[in-house]
Amino acid sequence: MPSIDALDQRLQDLMLPYRPQREWIEGRGLLIVIAHFFSGVGAGVWLFSLALDYDAGLIISIVVTAVLAGGAHLAFLGRWQRSWRMILRPHSSWISRGLLGIILFLAGAILYVLPGVRDSTFGSAMLAVSILGMALILVYKGFVYLVARAIPFWNISLLPFLYVAYALRGGAALLLVVAAAAGEVFDIDLLEAIKLWVVVSSAALVLLYLALANNAGAAARRSLHELVAGSISPAFYGGTIFLGLVIPIALGAIGSTAGLWRGLLAFVGLSSLAGDFFVQYCIVKAGIYLPIVGELPPARSHRGRPRLF
Amino acid sequence: MVIDLKRCIGCHACQVVCKAENGTRPGTLWARVLEQELGTFPNVRRLSLPLLCQHCRLAPCVEVCPTGATQKRADGIVTIDPDKCVGCRYCVMVCAYGSRYYQAQDWTYFPGNGVNPYEALAYAKHPTGIVEKCDFCLSRVERGLQPACVAACPANARTFGDLHDRQSEVSRLIDERSAFRLREEAGTCPSIFYLPP
Repeated sequence: MPSIDALDQRLQDLMLPYRPQREWIEGRGLLIVIAHFFSGVGAGVWLFSLALDYDAGLIISIVVTAVLAGGAHLAFLGRWQRSWRMILRPHSSWISRGLLGIILFLAGAILYVLPGVRDSTFGSAMLAVSILGMALILVYKGFVYLVARAIPFWNISLLPFLYVAYALRGGAALLLVVAAAAGEVFDIDLLEAIKLWVVVSSAALVLLYLALANNAGAAARRSLHELVAGSISPAFYGGTIFLGLVIPIALGAIGSTAGLWRGLLAFVGLSSLAGDFFVQYCIVKAGIYLPIVGELPPARSHRGRPRLF
Repeated sequence: MVIDLKRCIGCHACQVVCKAENGTRPGTLWARVLEQELGTFPNVRRLSLPLLCQHCRLAPCVEVCPTGATQKRADGIVTIDPDKCVGCRYCVMVCAYGSRYYQAQDWTYFPGNGVNPYEALAYAKHPTGIVEKCDFCLSRVERGLQPACVAACPANARTFGDLHDRQSEVSRLIDERSAFRLREEAGTCPSIFYLPP
């Protein structure tokens, strides 16, 4: 049954000077945030699994990227049957580049993990293809938002770095959860140290991003206000700050000196994953369009002389 | 297209005739009129700003479309091929003028009563799951007619023509009346010019 509330909302939005973007966050629009979150986590898991030489992590990465990220991407589209067309314009569209990255990554990664392939020349080539795809997945999401100049809060050049940092965090966090569940399958101390460093870095990036948004014009300031004092603030403070930064940094610092027992390790990982999701949710949700009417030229009389009103 | 804000009386005829001509679904306004109050009391005035797709020369929607569904024709009109659009809504995100509409649901004008025969006929051209926008009434323009909003404007506030022709009426108005474009700082070079009120 079509929602009349959504129809009213759309018509009201058309008259607002500051229109919030809703297509990529409300209803099925939330799926694009979920898809971007899981694609980042999948790419991050691949990178850390390669670095830590953890085979199960490679499989997890493929499953997360193909099933969760790919499924959410397809479910988001209005006409998923035509999704193959989205690869046609990598020369101009970041969505095409992202899809190309996912395809390269999955093709390379799946062939790389097949038995007997890894130690061959073909295996090395597939590893290179998967790493290329992974790099594309890591960077494309930030650029998808960055090029939207109509939404000044996204049009901040730091955004791609923020998305890369959060993708790496997500990958490390998922591996921490896996490690907590499966036992000492790789060097957890090393991963914990890397994760703490990435979390602290991402905290600095978030603060810097918010500071830049404050100077990016009235619409971006409006977005910032929504984030820190408006309707999105519970998700921002509870999800991004507390779950995503405070808990991982505090427990990570304790863990780096005293070590963490497995239950707490899983909690840090899950908390960090939730924070990774919420930072992306908050950034997308806070998107507000540039007002259509800016400064109009001064009104003039019929003889062309300036007049007041 | 040139829109004279001094002539516009805010009657919304463009909005209504666009609906009638294109048969768009509820919640979709390819042409609309934004009403705004400018200034501070007692020096205030009301501005009626007709809006439609700006058919930008450097259209970001064309750039970002991953399927090539959004195209810019040689005559400058930006169109969407409904058979190629996947409904990713990236173009909606990059449009600074709120001119694109995603058909998420099969809204009708008489909820609970299904579609009447007129709606059924009109909505066949507006499938759900894709993005739509103004195409300058392409079917009319190709027959040598003016877009419906231009033809219906009772105040003759709209002038449609070739911006590249220096002798055309639109070029003359732009030169003589200090025309401006909306959000020029966005760098999209819109093809809709407004004459100051």
